[in-house]
Amino acid sequence: MSPETPEQAPAPEEQATGTDPKPEEAQVERADPRNPVSWLPTLVETAVAIAVALVIGALLVVLSDQDALEALAYLFTYPADFFNAAWDAIWSSYSALVRGSVGSGDRLATTLERAAPLICAGLGVSLAFRAGLFNIGATGQMVFGFLAAGYVGFTWDLPPVLHMLVALVAGVVAGALYGGLVGLLKARTGAHEVITTIMFNYLAASILLYALSKDAFQRPGSDNTQSPPVADSATFGSVADVHLGVVLAFLAAGGVWWLLERSTLGFELRAVGSNPDASRTAGMNVSKVFTVGMLLAGALAGLASTMQVLGDQSSLSPTLAGNIGFDAITVALLGRATPLGTVLAGLLFGALSVGGVAMQASAGTPKELAQVLQALIVLFVAAPALVRGLTRMRSSASGSTVQAKGWGG
Amino acid sequence: MRLEIKGLTKRFGSFTANDSIDLTIEPGEIHCLLGENGAGKSTLMNMLYGLLDPTEGQIVVDGEPVTFASPRDAIAAGIGMVHQHFMLVPVFSVAENVMLGREHTRGLGVLNRRKAAETVRELSSRYNLAVDPDALIEDLPVGVQQRVEIIKALSHDAKVLILDEPTAVLTPQEIDELMEIMRELKRQGTSIIFITHKLREVKAVGDKISVIRRGKVVGTAPPTASETELAEMMVGRAVQLVVDKEPANVGEEVLSVENLTVVDPRGHQVLKDVTLAARGGEVLGIAGVQGNGQTELVKALLGLVRPDAGTIRLDGEDITRHGPRESLDAGIGYVPEDRSHDGYVGDFSVRENLILDLYRTDGFSRGLALRLDAIEQNADARIKEFDIRTESPETPVRSLSGGNQQKVVVAREFSRPLKVLVAAQPTRGVDVGSIEFIHKRIVAERDRGTAVVIVSTELDEIYALADRIAVMYDGRVVGVVGPETPREEIGLLMAGAGAGTTAATGTDTEVEA
Amino acid sequence: MKKTARIAAVVSIAALTLAACGERSNDEADDASSTPSASSSAPAPAEQVDFKACMVSDSGGFDDKSFNQTSHDGMENAATNLGVQTGEVESQSDSEYGDNIEALVSQGCNSITTVGFLLGDATLAAAKKHKDVDFSIVDFAYEKAPKNVKGLTFNTNENSFLAGYLAAATSESGTVGTLGGMNIPTVTIFMEGFRQGVEKYNEDEGADVQLLGWDGKSGSFTDDFEDKTKGQAIAEQMIGQGADVVFPVAGPAGLGALQAAKDADVDAIWVDTDGCVSAAEYCDVLLTSVVKAMDVAVEEAIAASLNDEFSNEVYVGTLENGGVSLADLSDDVDSEVADKIEELKEQIISGELEVK
Repeated sequence: MSPETPEQAPAPEEQATGTDPKPEEAQVERADPRNPVSWLPTLVETAVAIAVALVIGALLVVLSDQDALEALAYLFTYPADFFNAAWDAIWSSYSALVRGSVGSGDRLATTLERAAPLICAGLGVSLAFRAGLFNIGATGQMVFGFLAAGYVGFTWDLPPVLHMLVALVAGVVAGALYGGLVGLLKARTGAHEVITTIMFNYLAASILLYALSKDAFQRPGSDNTQSPPVADSATFGSVADVHLGVVLAFLAAGGVWWLLERSTLGFELRAVGSNPDASRTAGMNVSKVFTVGMLLAGALAGLASTMQVLGDQSSLSPTLAGNIGFDAITVALLGRATPLGTVLAGLLFGALSVGGVAMQASAGTPKELAQVLQALIVLFVAAPALVRGLTRMRSSASGSTVQAKGWGG
Repeated sequence: MRLEIKGLTKRFGSFTANDSIDLTIEPGEIHCLLGENGAGKSTLMNMLYGLLDPTEGQIVVDGEPVTFASPRDAIAAGIGMVHQHFMLVPVFSVAENVMLGREHTRGLGVLNRRKAAETVRELSSRYNLAVDPDALIEDLPVGVQQRVEIIKALSHDAKVLILDEPTAVLTPQEIDELMEIMRELKRQGTSIIFITHKLREVKAVGDKISVIRRGKVVGTAPPTASETELAEMMVGRAVQLVVDKEPANVGEEVLSVENLTVVDPRGHQVLKDVTLAARGGEVLGIAGVQGNGQTELVKALLGLVRPDAGTIRLDGEDITRHGPRESLDAGIGYVPEDRSHDGYVGDFSVRENLILDLYRTDGFSRGLALRLDAIEQNADARIKEFDIRTESPETPVRSLSGGNQQKVVVAREFSRPLKVLVAAQPTRGVDVGSIEFIHKRIVAERDRGTAVVIVSTELDEIYALADRIAVMYDGRVVGVVGPETPREEIGLLMAGAGAGTTAATGTDTEVEA
Repeated sequence: MKKTARIAAVVSIAALTLAACGERSNDEADDASSTPSASSSAPAPAEQVDFKACMVSDSGGFDDKSFNQTSHDGMENAATNLGVQTGEVESQSDSEYGDNIEALVSQGCNSITTVGFLLGDATLAAAKKHKDVDFSIVDFAYEKAPKNVKGLTFNTNENSFLAGYLAAATSESGTVGTLGGMNIPTVTIFMEGFRQGVEKYNEDEGADVQLLGWDGKSGSFTDDFEDKTKGQAIAEQMIGQGADVVFPVAGPAGLGALQAAKDADVDAIWVDTDGCVSAAEYCDVLLTSVVKAMDVAVEEAIAASLNDEFSNEVYVGTLENGGVSLADLSDDVDSEVADKIEELKEQIISGELEVK
């Protein structure tokens, strides 16, 4: 309307000069990686989110426990009965959760192996986030990884180690190409990546189904939509009770950290993700960054796919990708799109998944509880204002700073 | 109406934005509020208009203490506000905009447009505003739109009118007209709080001047006070208002623009056949009201906008088809007009922003790896050299003040050898102290033989820096004149008088900046 | 630290609040606790025995209104009728089957039933590792099974054959249709039996009833066992082409086909369970249901394990042993046709008639 360009600098008056004390806003928004104290609010928020989720989860455990419900009926006559039953239910569920996920070396190994694909796919989503791209397509990218790594794994005949490496590279490259295609579409035509990745997920699912209906991907002598497992020569070897993929996942996290924080490419990714206009003005090729960002995100999803195919030696099936691609979004969100955060969130989700099975098996807790816990944690993390309200970490109304914006001055 | 502010204080957390402010606005007085960006003027006005709750203190209207929970209360108490960015619906008529929010209806929700139009007509004639109630907002020049805002406030029976930086968007002629309107309002008993940082305007129209610095009223002055005195009060130290510069030592033609035409995506010609040349060692000032093609011109120079016709040459080489990267590499320094949008990445630290377009050079990276030590040294050196006030090089740029943000951009662009410096609005939203500093650096760059192109909508800035002045109107260069040309003459050119066309009517010239 | 204290306070407040909520939900709790006992009240529960029967679902989960659920019913029946304890794990993804079976083994399960061919590899691996646990797997059989693994398979082509004959005999338009959830053997075996039944009718009666949706090799599939709209779309298309009996073999997605049949007022045949029980709202359009008694097979396998009669011999549900059957025919079916169906059933059981 007014031809005057609004001064959009969100530098309200209260932030007059750099030497003045600044309001909390700036410190909360961005944690300085070199300063552990700046992490504290984030850590506390996440811890509170987990604690609140566990409390609500405990309530659900009680409400789904037969004994506790029966005792509830005569709560006022024999209150102790109810609380004993409730405590038993909570204790048996949560102790099964902990024992089942980290209770022994064996369980820990299972947790690590379950976390590995979540970490890799989560890193892919995180990396894309940092480049300003919302990658919903980890599932589709993983499917292409399955097809390539699986095909190489069960069809080709190569010596051990080499076979594994070739299958690994095939899976990573296939995921990268499928992800990169989304980036290319965005760069060339402006097609929004949320739409294209969702569509590409459907496309990949159909292609997988089609492939599994063909003899090339089916087990000999069977018409089931299930491929053979990859040859033993193509599987990840074991390193200290876990397959090599777990090590690769941690290496990938280190690599992503280096890329984002220490490389020119990462500098471009973060700059474009945060302010594409300024990046373009600074001579960065925004289209290239989008394409490369999605390419790398796809590569990480492809790496995640090899965890299942080459690590667990799972057969390809229409449902093999499961929820990993979507859980990866949650993991990235919970990990604040940082590599370390993604690793920690991936481990938490892996533990919840493995521990959730133990809860079902030993305490009869419905599998939904583990999922509800995951969902609640993310809900509270994604709604920091809610958690802050619960903890009263900030008493000053944040609305006031919003109002002061755009008032020139 | 007599408006008193007593000990008004506003704190955000540990930060005090307004510290025990006392002011009295007498009836029929133009009270100027002078202060730098970030001094606390807007916070104060937000409290007066009910947008913020004061932490302490009182607002007193005609001896009665009042509290405003929302702008609605403030309006009811007789306070009106004209925002710097207008709040008008472009496709509605003037009358419709004025009645917006409290529509006159005749039973059954039928809008009474006639009554609204009458109100506009009456106020317009009473205060000499010359506004047609039936005109569509989008067809009106900016100055008239501003008058519609004033009518809106007056139609609520405002007794105290707050004008927030009203002259920032106006041509010199429009500024004169606004001054006239302010005097008329005052004559008829309306008090005005006039917020600005422009000393000339304060002296021209003010009855009383209060200067705010760092959230405090540091003093009041009569309009007879000299500009130097006022500037000192505002900044807190002696400032030099005139840039010391030697006569230009003009060299070869470095940058030439021939018959440049740009058509925007909507099909409007926003740049029409522009021909210009910038020579080494001189500052070419491009004057003009915002939105007359300057934005597209500088973007085309850097390669952010592809020209539809014409050529741009740098040292004789055709760079018309260059993208920003090639242009930067070829030695063009670029200070964009909207720094938060194009100049820096707000989430990035000062250190990172200082290499935003340099990270790929050998100095700051080796292969894929950034050279952190070099980046760190660069940041420390630039922060010192340009006196960037930041807590640390790690501080995100978005939390710096406007002046320091601009210093980051300027420091970055000046930290490599340049053939041409293109700076658009280099000091917009920047405090007086930083303006002085940035101007000095620009002149120093000129003296090193760089061709400097300055685009500014502030004539003062053009006069302070330019060795030649090109005036743009409606996408054309309507004249190139010397720096001694009188203000009135340039004002006429800015209004299109020299172009042989009619006065600006908005449509074509309104370009998203 | 202050924050820590605050959080602790908040957590305990939250706990108190939640506890308060619990008190208020007293009435609901009463209902909730009484419902399950009401539903399982029919037979008197057997005496508890020291035997634990467990089950792992595939990624569809036990609430899939399909074979996971039916198999799960078998385990529940075993608990009621045999007095065994139960344990279960629902799988969320294909790669966790092995872990999930292990989790149950570590809970001391004596018998573990896995559901679906996707668990074939994991079940075999676990069986080799844990020789003292009896494994049964629904809808899958091994060429050479270890002693402690039993495949549970079903000759659903036999009852589907009868259904095909019934459909052809009932059709007035001379066109019938079938659709599958996915082109996999456990689905197409129904469709193939159905096709042969239609052909048998054409041969016997010299008729020319057309079958849409399956030609012996390829056909119409929803490629999804969940999405009812897909089942409905395919069925509507078939009805549009004149089909007046539809036979969906697509789990819950097939409910869409029943809806299409109901909307167009044509007949349908349900699959796996008796539709007049599991999808009662559609009972009036159902001619019959092709019942695959996975619950019976599962319960029998558990019983065998309990009584030390377990063997690795593949269980094959047939018309003869009642592992597959047709549900009660609708009243609309001519008694002549009903007699003919009964006759064909006897011929199949006696081996006189062979369904391929």
